[in-house]
Amino acid sequence: MSQYMLFHDQKNCIGCEACVVACKTRQKLPQGPLPTLVVAVGPRWAGDQPRTVFTFMPCFHCEIPWCVAACPTGAMQKRSGDGVVSVDPELCVGCKTCMAACPWGAPQWNPVTGKVVKCDLCKDRIDAGLRPACATVCVTQCIHFGPPEEMSEIRRERYARTKAEGQFDPE
Amino acid sequence: MNQAQCQVLATYQWLGEQLETGAMTHPRCRRIGQDIQEILRDIIDSRAGEEHMETLRSMARELAEKGEDEECVRLGKTLSQLFENHLEEFLGHVRSRNCPTGECPMLTPAPCQMTCPAGIDVPTYIALVGEGRYSEAVSVIRKDNPFPWICGLVCTHPCEFMCVRGRMDDPISIMALKGVAAERSYASGDFSDPEPAPFNGRKVCIIGAGPAGLTAAYYLALQGYGVRVLESLPLAGGMMRVGIPDYRLPQEIVSREIAMIEDLGVEIRCNTRLGRDTDVEQLRREGFQAFLLAVGAHNSYELMISGEKECSGVIPAVDFLRRVNLGDHSSPGKRVAVVGGGNVAIDAARTCLRLGCREVTILYRRTHAQMPAHQEEVVEAEQEGIRFSFLTIPKQINGDEEGCVHTVTCLRAELSEPDASGRQRPVPVEGSEHDIRVDAVIPAIGQEVDDTGLGDFHDVDWTKRNTVRVDTISMSTDQSGVFAVGDAVTGPATIVEAVAGGKKAARAINRYFEGMPQPLLPPTPVRRGRLDPFPMPASLKMDLTRPHMEVLKNDRRRITFQQVHLGLSEDQAQTEATRCLRCDICIRCGRCVEICRDKMGVDALHLGYLSFDYPGPTDLKITAERCILCGACATNCPTEAMQMKDRDGERILTHCGTELNRLQLEYCESCGAVLGPARYQDYLNRRIRQISPSLVGKHLCLDCARRKASYQQAEINPPDGS
Repeated sequence: MSQYMLFHDQKNCIGCEACVVACKTRQKLPQGPLPTLVVAVGPRWAGDQPRTVFTFMPCFHCEIPWCVAACPTGAMQKRSGDGVVSVDPELCVGCKTCMAACPWGAPQWNPVTGKVVKCDLCKDRIDAGLRPACATVCVTQCIHFGPPEEMSEIRRERYARTKAEGQFDPE
Repeated sequence: MNQAQCQVLATYQWLGEQLETGAMTHPRCRRIGQDIQEILRDIIDSRAGEEHMETLRSMARELAEKGEDEECVRLGKTLSQLFENHLEEFLGHVRSRNCPTGECPMLTPAPCQMTCPAGIDVPTYIALVGEGRYSEAVSVIRKDNPFPWICGLVCTHPCEFMCVRGRMDDPISIMALKGVAAERSYASGDFSDPEPAPFNGRKVCIIGAGPAGLTAAYYLALQGYGVRVLESLPLAGGMMRVGIPDYRLPQEIVSREIAMIEDLGVEIRCNTRLGRDTDVEQLRREGFQAFLLAVGAHNSYELMISGEKECSGVIPAVDFLRRVNLGDHSSPGKRVAVVGGGNVAIDAARTCLRLGCREVTILYRRTHAQMPAHQEEVVEAEQEGIRFSFLTIPKQINGDEEGCVHTVTCLRAELSEPDASGRQRPVPVEGSEHDIRVDAVIPAIGQEVDDTGLGDFHDVDWTKRNTVRVDTISMSTDQSGVFAVGDAVTGPATIVEAVAGGKKAARAINRYFEGMPQPLLPPTPVRRGRLDPFPMPASLKMDLTRPHMEVLKNDRRRITFQQVHLGLSEDQAQTEATRCLRCDICIRCGRCVEICRDKMGVDALHLGYLSFDYPGPTDLKITAERCILCGACATNCPTEAMQMKDRDGERILTHCGTELNRLQLEYCESCGAVLGPARYQDYLNRRIRQISPSLVGKHLCLDCARRKASYQQAEINPPDGS
């Protein structure tokens, strides 16, 4: 895990895919590769209502990334310091071993350059003190970017609030 | 020939940098800039037509004239300047589909084509021969050389010297395949030259009906020029006719290819010598506005020794060969000495043998290794029983009472220490005089241009070597409207060099009439096609060998003028064509090998032949043992020579059609998408075994893995208490 985390608050996501577009635009990608993907799960019955949930699938920037181990050329690297996993296009030869190794399907194939692309947490942006493109453009602000310890607070707080709301319920 | 840098590629890269800086802020200009970049890419990738260049120039003008801000105008002006300055090179890329610097990968010409003086697209015609499409092959050849059959028999074939296959085992029989194509296609009668353009009212007179003059005549006639060729001898063909003996090049073959040129309306006037039978004034009155001097080098150098002039029986080699080729088959004598070590000396000696001379000796002042004659011809001469007396210098020719040659007094020689240039000179040994009994002496020590009759061209300048001084790109002399080609310019050279000159002259004469400026760069050989390579297994590609050409049996060779080389059979020719490594597609950059060995650590590609300077061993079969079919080689190949494809449940790697590896594919257990071969999975597992033993046996594709993970993460029923 990198020292950052992209936390996607599924409760607020409307599936607009602005994050996907922003990500592809920033990396100037052709048709095909999706370094981040929004998957619609459902609709399923949740109680008496149909419900679709959107999951946001960027790279998790694993603690021990299999892609980095698999890469024979040293193109796939985990940055010391903040642990961002990214691919160096100069070194990538397009053997796709990282793609085959990743259990989450995070590394993507760019057919135009013949090289792998993936979520690099917009490292140039975060180095400049900005948030990643996806988090910046998110319409409902459901993509949160920060240290993991802060991210868990969001869900915990909401759960606490819901519980507390029940207490004040006038009915 | 190579220029330092390809200006097309340089312009493309420069424009890319300009757009990258972001200095061009106006969206419309930026868009035009990107469009220009795209069109340049088309040119570099061999997808452009003539109109591309016009579009480029007008777009650059638009930027320069209507640019929205200073930056646009600056870019437009610079681009316009670059297009104008290097117009010839840009157009050359479009028209020839070849980049002479070899920097544009898709336009890198094959070494054989670049080496051929006439610039024939060898890989294309070889591929056509391999498919049995002989007439199309001949069309490809005749676009650059109107003598495919002649050159298929007697070319010096420098292409084969550069043939890349020669670094692996033996070069492709490029020359013989040309001969087969011409023979088959002429025999079947389904080849015809393109219809010449209608007469354009312009008349060109060519002096000399040799390979250079006739080549120019052919290309001029196709363009609609009225061409008259003057020939002083009774038969056309020049040295092809009277310099090369029948056992190498039968007369009928020369006649046939000349007849094809006459069929285009070219008028060949034999027995007509300029200055004797007609003159320049008269020709001008007849409407000839341009002249091409293509008189060849038909004068022999003299030995400059005593007795040479006085004794009868001293016959210069070219005179002798001319006499025999024009039908005089009388023997020069029982014992003949030929002086010299070049091809003409060998031709003369072998001709003597066929005329019934008992004893033919070649006297050469250096050694076997230094003979300028073709090794193959020397060997054949030896087989036929020609004697060689090396390190022998004729000093004096002695006549008998009647003034006929009786003996040659010779000196033995030794080779000196190599001088600064590495050349060893023959030094006579003192007191080594000895007599050799002969009836005739044939000096064959070189030829020069016979300039009689050319005096009317007052402003034509001559060099010290008695050749016509020309601009070697346009073949134009110092006199306007007068051009010169062939041996008259180069001194004694080869047919294919004469053809190259004739082609250049035709282009220059056309430009002269059109009032266009003459080119500044030598012509770039033209790519006539990009045929699919032959699909074949690696082991067959490896194991095929250069075919052995049948030759006439030696006894018959010694007494007749029958053709010695009997040519390749159709079967041999087609098989030989498949041995070609297709250097018009694979440009031998070596990226595939580097990536496989250095980046992937697989080392499955052993293509040592790719390196020109340090060729290593080549083993096409080893790839199947080691290759994991990762596809990195194919992904990084700039010309699609290396290709990886999935077909019928297998993944197949081919290099220019040669199948290097083939493995069964594995599929995603969820959606059935292709995962790659098991050996690829093994490679992967080996790399991550340390950190993830669980991956072994994973059979999910990229998409399914991602979807599965996302479903696991979806909080359909989040524990929110509601």
